[in-house]
Amino acid sequence: MGCRPAAAGGKTHILLFESELRALCVFVAKFPRVSAIGSRLLFFALLLFDAPVLLADDQVAVTVQHPWMRAVPDVMDSTAVYMTLVNNGSAPAELVGGSTSIAGSVAPMITTKQGEGTKQTVGMQSVDSLKIPAHGTLVLEPDGNHLMVMGLKEHPKEGTQVDFTIKLEPGDHEIHLKIPVSRRPVK
Amino acid sequence: MSSVTQKSASVSGPPPKRSFFDWRVWTVASVLLAAVLLSIFFGLKQHAQQGFFGTRLFPLKTAYDFKLNGLNSAQVRLDQFRGKTVLFLFGFTHCANVCPTSLTNLADVYQALTPEERKQVQVIFVSVDPDRDNPQTLAQYVTAFDPSFVGLTAPKPVMDQTVLAYGANYEMVAGPTNEPNDYSVNHSAYTYLVNPSGQLELLYGNEKLAEVPKMVSDIRAVLHEPRS
Repeated sequence: MGCRPAAAGGKTHILLFESELRALCVFVAKFPRVSAIGSRLLFFALLLFDAPVLLADDQVAVTVQHPWMRAVPDVMDSTAVYMTLVNNGSAPAELVGGSTSIAGSVAPMITTKQGEGTKQTVGMQSVDSLKIPAHGTLVLEPDGNHLMVMGLKEHPKEGTQVDFTIKLEPGDHEIHLKIPVSRRPVK
Repeated sequence: MSSVTQKSASVSGPPPKRSFFDWRVWTVASVLLAAVLLSIFFGLKQHAQQGFFGTRLFPLKTAYDFKLNGLNSAQVRLDQFRGKTVLFLFGFTHCANVCPTSLTNLADVYQALTPEERKQVQVIFVSVDPDRDNPQTLAQYVTAFDPSFVGLTAPKPVMDQTVLAYGANYEMVAGPTNEPNDYSVNHSAYTYLVNPSGQLELLYGNEKLAEVPKMVSDIRAVLHEPRS
C-alpha cells in the first residue's frame, strides 16, 4: 500500500475498512492541496458513521465485519458467535478467545468431519487459536469455525445487542464489540 | 451373396468352421451385454436423480420404521406419518453450531411452502443424546425453530438401532473438564426425506439445507409424485 492509514497519535493507529482506506488514499492522492483538511474531515466522518472501527497497534491490524450471535432456544445453555476477521497487516494474527458478561466462557472451535457418506460424522473441537493470515481473512460462519459461548447466564434475546470482547495475539489484544443477536446471519 | 460364396470358395477354399461355443464370440457378446445393461442401469440412476437437488436413492426402499419417544411418554413411529413427507435429522440440543443452523434452515424451507403444502410436511429432530435430552426439553428446543417441529429420542439401544438402520453414526467426545455432563457428540448431519409412501427418497448433507428454493422445489416434486 502506497498510503498509510491515518494515525491517531502515539503507538495506536485507527484502521478503517480496507475499501474505505483505499477511497481515502485515492482522495488524498487526487487532491493533494485539500488533503490536509479533507482527509481529516473524511476520517472523522467515517469514524462517526462506521460502527466496527477498532483500535489496533503495530502488530495487530484486524478489523471485524458482520459479527452476530445466534439467538438460541431458551433450553440451550450455549450459543455461537460468527464474524469475519480481516487482517490488514503484514504479520499473521490469531484469534485466541473472547469473553462476554452473559456467559461463563468463550472458546474458538473448528468443525470436524470424519468418515464418508452417511456414516460421516460432524463434530466440533476446541482449539487454542484460529489463524488470520497476513492480508487475509478468517471467516467464522454457521457449520464452520466459530466462537462457542458456553454457560449462558442470561439468554441473549433476538434483536438485542450483546457486549462481546475478542482476544487476539500477538500482543494480548482485545477488541470490544457490540454484537447483534439474530437467528440468521447478519450481513 | 452367391457370388461371394463362389469367390471365397474358389480363392481360399471353404472357411474354417466356427463352433457355436467359440469362446471369442461369447466373450465379445457378454462384454457387449454387460455394457448395455450397465448403461441402462446408470441411465436409470441418472434419470432417477434428474432434477432433484438432494441425492436420490435408487432403487427406493421402505424407510426403517423407527419407534421413538415423544411428549407425554407417547411412542412415535415413522409409519404414523404415512401420507406426509417427513424430513428428519439426528442431533442433540447441546450442539451450538451445526444443529441450530440445520433447524433454522429447515424452518426457512418449511415456511417457504404454502399453508396447504405445510400440512403435508413434518420435520423431526432425533436426539442421539437421551441422557441430556428428554422429550420435554426436546419439544421446547425444536418448537423454538418452528412450532410444527417434533423432537424425539429413545434409550441408547433403540437409538443405536435407529442410527444403524439409516447408515448413520454418532460418537460421544469428552469435553475439557472431567465432569460427566461435559461432552460433545459427533454425529451424522444428513437430513433424510421420507416420501408420503414411506420410502426413503432423498438425502441432504447439512450444507444443502441453506439452499431454500432448491429444497422447496424438491419437496414440491415429492408431494406431486404419482402414488401407487
